[in-house]
Amino acid sequence: MSVQGSTVLRLGGNSIRVRHRTVAAIIGSLAVLFAVAMWSAATGSTALGLDRTWAALLDQGTKGDEFILWDLRLPRLATGLAVGACMGLSGALFQNLTRNPLGSPDILGLTQGATSGALVAIILTSGGLQLTAVFAAFGALATGLVIWGLTRGGDPSGYRLVLVGIGVAAILAGVNGYLLTRTTIVDAFRAVYWLTGDLSGRSWDQAAIVAIVLAAGAAVVTVLSRGLDALRLGEASATGLGVHVTGTRVAALVTASVLTAGAVAVAGPLAFVALAAPHIAARLTGSTRSFMLSAIIGALIVTGADMIAVAGIADRQLPTGVVTGVVGGLYLVWLLIAQRKKGVMS
Amino acid sequence: MTAGPLVVQDATIGYGRVAISAGLNVDIPEGEFTVILGPNACGKSTLLKALARMLKPSAGQVLLDGKDIHSQPTRAVARRLGLLPQSPIAPDGITVADLVARGRYPHQGILKQWSAEDERVVAEAMAATDISELASRGVDELSGGQRQRVWIAMVLAQQTPLLLLDEPTTFLDITHQIEVLDLCAKLHREGRTLVAVLHDLNQAARYATHLIAMRGGEVVAEGAPADIVTAETVHQVFDLPCRIIDDPETGTPLVIPKALASAPV
Repeated sequence: MSVQGSTVLRLGGNSIRVRHRTVAAIIGSLAVLFAVAMWSAATGSTALGLDRTWAALLDQGTKGDEFILWDLRLPRLATGLAVGACMGLSGALFQNLTRNPLGSPDILGLTQGATSGALVAIILTSGGLQLTAVFAAFGALATGLVIWGLTRGGDPSGYRLVLVGIGVAAILAGVNGYLLTRTTIVDAFRAVYWLTGDLSGRSWDQAAIVAIVLAAGAAVVTVLSRGLDALRLGEASATGLGVHVTGTRVAALVTASVLTAGAVAVAGPLAFVALAAPHIAARLTGSTRSFMLSAIIGALIVTGADMIAVAGIADRQLPTGVVTGVVGGLYLVWLLIAQRKKGVMS
Repeated sequence: MTAGPLVVQDATIGYGRVAISAGLNVDIPEGEFTVILGPNACGKSTLLKALARMLKPSAGQVLLDGKDIHSQPTRAVARRLGLLPQSPIAPDGITVADLVARGRYPHQGILKQWSAEDERVVAEAMAATDISELASRGVDELSGGQRQRVWIAMVLAQQTPLLLLDEPTTFLDITHQIEVLDLCAKLHREGRTLVAVLHDLNQAARYATHLIAMRGGEVVAEGAPADIVTAETVHQVFDLPCRIIDDPETGTPLVIPKALASAPV
C-alpha cells in the first residue's frame, strides 16, 4: 500500500513510511559525498591517485602510502564528515525552532559563545588545542542555556528566540573584541586562526569525539523528529495532536547546542555550514524535511570545502573556514536573489 | 444532571498574570453542538484554549472524563479531543493528503508510521469533508473554504469523539461559512460532541444545540438557542437593542438589530 510519492514497509505491527523524493535525495547526496571523500583521500600534497588509495585502504599499499592515508588524511576526512553532519543537524534544529530561514547557531550567538570560550582559553591561559576545545564547547553550551534562560525558561521558539539570540550574539561579539585587545600579538594570531576554523592536523581522537556527539545527537533527533515535524503546523495544532510542545523544543535546543559545541570545539566556527545545509536539503526534498539529509549535506559542504582548502590557491593551503565562508556566503546571496526573482521576498 | 466529558471547574484562566476569567464554571454536554459566543475580548477563545489544554488554569481545573486534563498524557488526550485552531500553519508546498495524514500523529510512533488503519481513516476523513479529489493538490493552491475543509479533515483523521473549533468560519465568505457549518452539523449528527467559537449570532442560533454566551470573562447565559436567544440576553451580552423573530428557514431564533431613530437613511 502506498500514499502518493511514498512506500510503506510493514513488518508485523510495525510500519515505516519512506518518501521516494527524500530517499532519492539521500542516496544521491551520499553518492556525491563518497566521491568527494575518495577524491580528498587521493589528492593533496602527495597525489596518491585512486589505485594507490584503494590499495592503501584495503591494507595492500606501501608503508608510506598507508601512513599518508591512515594517519594524515582519513582522520582529517572523518573529522570533517562528523563536524559537517553535526553542524547540518544543529542548523536544521535551529531553523525548526525559530521557524526562521536565518535561524542558525551563527546568528543566535552559539558560535560567538564558543569563540568567547576559546579566546578565554587562548588568551588567559595560553592553553593548547585541547584546552581551547573544552572551553569552546563550554562556551557554546553556556550560551545555549543563557538563551533559553532569557526566553524566561519557558518555551524557546519563534521570534523571541531569534531576538534574544541576536542580542546575545551582539554582546558576545563585543566581549570577543575586548578579549582580543587584551592579548599579545602571538596569542592574537592563534586566536584569529582558531576563529577562521580549520581541519588540518586533526587526529582520530578528535574525529571520535565529534562522532560520539553526532551519534548521541542523531539518536535524540530521531526520537524528537515526529514531534518537531508536527510543530511545523503551528504550536496550537501540535498541542491538539498531542505533542509535548515545550518539552520537545527544550530538548531540541539542548541537542542543537551540544552538536554545535562538539563541532566548533574540534574544527572552530566553520562559517555558514549550519545555515546553508538545511536550506539545500529543503530544496532537494520539497515540502518534507529530513534531518538526516541536512546532516549529510552539512558533511558534504565541509568535506568539499576542505578538499578545495587543501588544493588551495597557488599551492598554498587555506584554512577550511575561509572556503566554507566564501562558498556559503555566495550560496546565501544566490538564494536571496533567486527568492527575490520568484517574488518571495521584495 | 451528570457532568459532561469536558468540565471547567472554578478556573482562573488568562495569559501570564492577566486573568481573563476567574472562578469560571462551564460544563460541555455530551453529544451536543455547543457554540460559545460573545463580544470581542469576552474570553470565548480563552475558554476554548483552556478546554484544549493550550492554557493551564492558574487556579481550578479543566476535567476531561472527570480527570484533570493536565494530569493525563497529552497523546492520550489527543485521542479523545481534536482541535482546529484559529490560524494553523500549512508547511510550504504540502499536499492535501499529506496534511490530512498529520492527523494520525497520536495514533503513530517511530515504528508505527503508517498502518493500514491510518490509510483507511485518512481516506474516510477526506471523503467526509468532500476533498478526496483534491488529495494530490498543494494546500496553498486551494481556496479559503477548501483549505478549511482540509484542516477539518486533518482533525477528523485524529478520530476523536470531541472536536474543538476556534472560529472556523472567520475569513471565509458567506457561502463557505455555511458550507463549513453544514459540515459541522453533519459531524454532530454522526455522534460527535462539538464545541465551536463563532462570531455570528444568527449562525450560532441556527446550528448550535447548546449555547454559551459570555461577557467580561463570565458566562451570562447558557442553554438551548430557543430558550436563551431573547432580546434581553442579546442586549445584556452584546449591548445591542434588537427584535427576535423566527428564522423562516429553520424556525430558530433570528436576531434583527433595531434601527436607531437617529440613524442616517
